[in-house]
Amino acid sequence: MSSLAIEIKGLTKSYGDVRALNGVDIKIKNGEFFGLLGPNGAGKTTTINILTGLVFRENGYTKVFGQDTVSNFRFTRSKIGIAAQEFSVDWFFPIEKLLFFQAGYYGIRKKEATPMVNSLLDRLGLSKKRNSRLRQLSGGMKRRFQLAKALVHDPEIIILDEPTAGVDVELRRNLWQYLRDLHSEGKTILLTTHYIEEAELLCENVAIIDEGKILKKGSPKTLTQELGNSGITINLENTCVQLKEQLKGYTYTIDDKRLHFSVKDPDQELPKIIQILSREDLHIQSIESNKSSLEDVFLNLTGKGIND
Amino acid sequence: MNWIGLSTLIHREVGRFFSVYRQTVLPGLITTALYIVIFGFTLEQRISEIQGISYTMFILPGLIMMNTLTNASSNTSSSMLQMKLLQQLPDLLTAPLSGLEISIAYIIGGAVRGLVNGILVLILGIVLVGMPVKDPIGTVAFIFLVSWAFSSMGLLLGQLAESWDQLAMMQNFFLTPLSFLGGIFYSIKMLPEWAQTLSFINPIYYMINGIRYTILGVSDSEVEISIIMAILLTAIFTLTSILLMQSGKKIKQ
Repeated sequence: MSSLAIEIKGLTKSYGDVRALNGVDIKIKNGEFFGLLGPNGAGKTTTINILTGLVFRENGYTKVFGQDTVSNFRFTRSKIGIAAQEFSVDWFFPIEKLLFFQAGYYGIRKKEATPMVNSLLDRLGLSKKRNSRLRQLSGGMKRRFQLAKALVHDPEIIILDEPTAGVDVELRRNLWQYLRDLHSEGKTILLTTHYIEEAELLCENVAIIDEGKILKKGSPKTLTQELGNSGITINLENTCVQLKEQLKGYTYTIDDKRLHFSVKDPDQELPKIIQILSREDLHIQSIESNKSSLEDVFLNLTGKGIND
Repeated sequence: MNWIGLSTLIHREVGRFFSVYRQTVLPGLITTALYIVIFGFTLEQRISEIQGISYTMFILPGLIMMNTLTNASSNTSSSMLQMKLLQQLPDLLTAPLSGLEISIAYIIGGAVRGLVNGILVLILGIVLVGMPVKDPIGTVAFIFLVSWAFSSMGLLLGQLAESWDQLAMMQNFFLTPLSFLGGIFYSIKMLPEWAQTLSFINPIYYMINGIRYTILGVSDSEVEISIIMAILLTAIFTLTSILLMQSGKKIKQ
């Protein structure tokens, strides 16, 4: 079996006139924790949907353990468990039964799947809800159920599309720990996210994707060393007014009352920035200076913030 | 073949309609009972026998067929569209299941619903009006054949449809009118000649007369033609729905 769990080469895809993927190349080693980092609409979901068979590819190839995902789909799909970003809705069956169905689609009989189903319901805190329908679960529980569904056939590769989107901080931390545990068991994990912190904390390697192109690949550490500037975050008391003209020459993002600057030398730049903001009569609530992060790398590569 | 995957999906599809039996099984029985009471018991005294059969008895095979084919087709069409609209389809499309396996499982699910409904209405007819069944095995076999044909037609429609409105249009503008015009409540010999000719191009006319023959031994059409038509419909719809599923054209981007 190939040492590469996932290999994507020259992948292109268009939806009508919109070019969603423009020659994506990704290699993920067996046992690696890999992050696909990019803003909404960058091409993350399209990439994994092609890999899992939900979307037709145009050019290029997608392989799982050396096997083509189209011509040898039974093999490749049996190796992958996917937790989609969007929740599916089933009105008819309790969640335990849905997990047995899911295992069955992968060729696992109910009897063989029972220990795994019990263990997943237990580990993900869903045991008491095993007889509930999906509509009776909270948002966080639905997210955990998505993960259980992805894991029920014990796949070697786990693909998680924005697994912590819309969940509270505590659940996010729990899910991160669970993903770390799965990784330490030897699972290959492909995570798509637009949360910088998530990619930095969990991933061994990341690929930064924007407008259907991979801009840079490497470990978060290497990328930040190579491309990251230091970050200055300024929280204002009031919502920012138009500052385009005044902040000309700076690389920054604005998010309501939060300004994030990516600078080479914070000691030199900070007084200048404060001066500009004071001139505009903007009251500063707090200032944080942080080491360079993937957010700065992304800003440097694209000239925009990941959540813009 | 992924046999466990196939049987799981069949189990899911059959379980799905049984879990809402008040919506999928009981209505056909209640409607048929109402037809028997209203049409049969009230109109029977005013309508003379048709081909030597009392009016209530005459309409019952047609009602069995109408229940069979509407239930079979609506099971697959609504299940497929629901899977598409409620984001459930990715669970199947990312699993190691082929288009053939998914199609066959859906068609069997719909065929079982058609068969269950058809047989229950048949039993209702036997219990309520003592309907004699001339050829019980032939009757059940014919109900199953028509169930399969219309279940696969429903699967085709479910893949093609993009909204509930489109599905309702197929049901209201084609299936129901064709059923009523197929001779549930009358023999086409009672119609003017031009209307009789029109009936010959209505496939449901052959389904109704096929089952009328297996139950009552009377039919407007030759029974062989009814059987050939049912087999033809089954083959055409099964093949088309499977090929469309395998191509992924209406379910993948």
